Amino acid sequence: MNGFLETAGSVYENTLFVYGLVLLFTYALLAILSMLAIRRYVKRDNDHQLNLLSSSPMAPGITILAPAFNEGLTIVSNVRSLLTLNYPNYEIIIINDGSTDDTMQQLINEFKIVPVDFAYNIRIQTKPVRYIYKSTDPAYSSLLVIDKVNGKSKADAVNAGINVAAFDYFVCTDVDCILHKDTLLELIRPVMQEEKKRVIAVGATLRIANSSEFDEGVLVRMRAPKQLLPRFQEVEYIRSFVLGKMGWSYINCVPNVSGGLGLFDKEVATRCGGYDHSSFGEDMELLTRMCRYAHDNHISYAVRYIPKTLCWTEAPSTVKIFSRQRVRWARGLAQLMAAHFSMFLNPRYGKMGLIVFPFNFFFELLAPLVEFSGIIVYIVLAVLGKINWPYALLLLLFVYTYAIMITTISILWDQLSFRYYKSWKEVAYLCFTPFMEFLLYHPLIVINSLRGYYNFLTGKRSTWGNMQRQGFGKKK
Amino acid sequence: MDIQVPAFLEPAWNLFQGAPLAIQLAMIFIIIAASITLLAYFSILRNRYRGYQRARRLASLLPTLDNLIIEEVLANPDPLANTHPDRVQLNLEEFWKLPLDKKWARQATTDRIIHFRRNVRGNAGHLLRGLYLQLELDKDNIKQMKSSKWERKVRALTEFINMDIPIADVSILPLTNSHNRELRAAARHAYIKLSKNEPFKFFDVVTDPLLMWDQVELFRIITTTEDIAIPNFARWITYSSNKSVVSFCLKLIVHYNQLPAVSAVKKLLDTKDHYLRADAINCLGKLKVPDVEDTLVAMYSSQPLHCQIEILKAVGRIGTGKYIDFLKQEFLHSTDFDLRKSAAKSIVKNEWIAGQVLQELLDTADPESLLILKHCMNPLIKY
Repeated sequence: MNGFLETAGSVYENTLFVYGLVLLFTYALLAILSMLAIRRYVKRDNDHQLNLLSSSPMAPGITILAPAFNEGLTIVSNVRSLLTLNYPNYEIIIINDGSTDDTMQQLINEFKIVPVDFAYNIRIQTKPVRYIYKSTDPAYSSLLVIDKVNGKSKADAVNAGINVAAFDYFVCTDVDCILHKDTLLELIRPVMQEEKKRVIAVGATLRIANSSEFDEGVLVRMRAPKQLLPRFQEVEYIRSFVLGKMGWSYINCVPNVSGGLGLFDKEVATRCGGYDHSSFGEDMELLTRMCRYAHDNHISYAVRYIPKTLCWTEAPSTVKIFSRQRVRWARGLAQLMAAHFSMFLNPRYGKMGLIVFPFNFFFELLAPLVEFSGIIVYIVLAVLGKINWPYALLLLLFVYTYAIMITTISILWDQLSFRYYKSWKEVAYLCFTPFMEFLLYHPLIVINSLRGYYNFLTGKRSTWGNMQRQGFGKKK
Repeated sequence: MDIQVPAFLEPAWNLFQGAPLAIQLAMIFIIIAASITLLAYFSILRNRYRGYQRARRLASLLPTLDNLIIEEVLANPDPLANTHPDRVQLNLEEFWKLPLDKKWARQATTDRIIHFRRNVRGNAGHLLRGLYLQLELDKDNIKQMKSSKWERKVRALTEFINMDIPIADVSILPLTNSHNRELRAAARHAYIKLSKNEPFKFFDVVTDPLLMWDQVELFRIITTTEDIAIPNFARWITYSSNKSVVSFCLKLIVHYNQLPAVSAVKKLLDTKDHYLRADAINCLGKLKVPDVEDTLVAMYSSQPLHCQIEILKAVGRIGTGKYIDFLKQEFLHSTDFDLRKSAAKSIVKNEWIAGQVLQELLDTADPESLLILKHCMNPLIKY
């Protein structure tokens, strides 16, 4: 028995060692790849050409889709923000997903919208659309509002928007997100610059809006969040977008385009069935299906990412709401892996099957389980007195310093490329956040991921929940 | 080998020596990670400090510079009679008091001149160009052109384009075939804008696709450059084997309403590339060529969906009223939603002649068809 336990322990130890090494190596590689990708972006960045596009008759049309559910607090200023975007050829579609507050009434009053006879082509099945509204004021001629029955998911609302969208590309965002005025110019650029591949999706960096200042839906001053939980999320977003997604983008292996802001090829998105309303990670699920569709139909595709921050979103500031969000994300990841497991290590799906899927499986899905099992083994060994404490502490210190290094590098890439924060104090706050992240924030992520997996396995009913937003209407 | 370590590090050193390889590696990586983190902090600090200094310097320079440009150039845009604005000797005394011996100040001055020049036309533009030359700011740019870094060359070419400074063809032409996409595009833009010989020459030789991104700037340069001899783009429609060049020329034909190019565009209707064919149909529709209607309608049934949509749109644009029945048939009997909508739009567009047909359809259409018609007739709905 002892022999078996010893062998099992040794196998576990070695597996964990290799797992850890590969993970650390991957992060180091991502740090290098992201640096190359950002350098390439900065070298090619040309405001002059963006200005030209902003007044060009050759700019491809883009539809903005922004679903809204009980967003009465912010809807007017956020629609105004979308109306100020700098692009010559776009339409805005707000999808009121059966709000129970005054969202619809505010839109009617503020933007003088009236119901119109709109020929609605149901390419993707959704809950019924009640009315489609257009404004009688020419100043809002690019605005269209869909009022539909609540579909209990963002996916259903966006699908209704895709059915109505007039242009070949659509940008999906949340109505509570604040976009940079050049968002559309920036997002369409990789599509127009691609030489050989068809760009099916483009994402950009998101940031936390909680302490930033906005006036009538326009960012006036960007600040690092003052509260600890949103600041942890800011650092996490920088690491995830600037380091992670940019690194993956360099080798055309982007695993996900965030639901907060992403541009998609409408034809591919529609042909693969649009967003899955039963998914809890509908953004990642859609991209996976689009990539799968492209492979199945021999479309040479690319998914690109932009390091520039183009979108600010309000992050959960209480542990309760934060946990609800992360449980949902983890459940969505588990759903995705189960639904598309046939892609796992399948050479037919190229980089998607051989790199993106295995990475997500081993280092996103399994990571919380591995960490949790590690903690259990640690406790058992500690109780049995079989831990060499100096070595154990050294290993812990190694992981700790490595994690801080990776996060600091992502802050460095961000700072070297774009000088976002006005004062050095805000940058200092951010730089010190990783020291606490490992101890305070990371355990929360692990616990909520495990809860998400549990909900997935048990099929527990889950509600979308309301973010209980503060709103950005006035300067805070 | 006996390594001497300071006394306070001795316990750590002993731990390292006695540790297994994995722990030794971990200890080494702790030091590396800590060092890289510190280096990152230092880089952030240095970068912010430089940014702060740059912002401070510009904050002190730009107001003075803007005032000088406004006073010396923009406030007096009309030079003396019989003097070409390019030959006006500007009063530069105040400008020389600026720190123009510093590279950053020269670059800032160039950027401001370009900024002002983009917003003015006529004499003021010429005077700003004169200011740029008289301050000898072009010399920095000539140096940049010789740089081995492509991004500097691109910046230099863009500056020459913005300032309308001629460059010898021999300097630009080799760059139009550069392996670097950005440099290649910038060189082509410069060639069209600045070459005095054959600005469209590279259309003959270009083999790689003209990206949509590059077409935006090319289009702007071609359509806004003064004194440029616009050729008949049918030449490339007929002879170019580069599909992107042909497609781009179709857009230019529409822009310049080049009716002599119609026969060349018509030949494109037989091309095997259906994307190019759709572009050609679109072009003929926008040129409103009545005698292609018969051909378009005859070929309709054998076309892929997007070509069919373009044909319906073209028939609506040409608007002779000859094929209203064809549009009506497509609207009533097509199974594809987009085809029905395009047909309805074309009928509505030709209301002046198809009024009776439209009324008949409104009276007899089923609910879905009626909705499509009302959609197309509603002035609030653009698409």
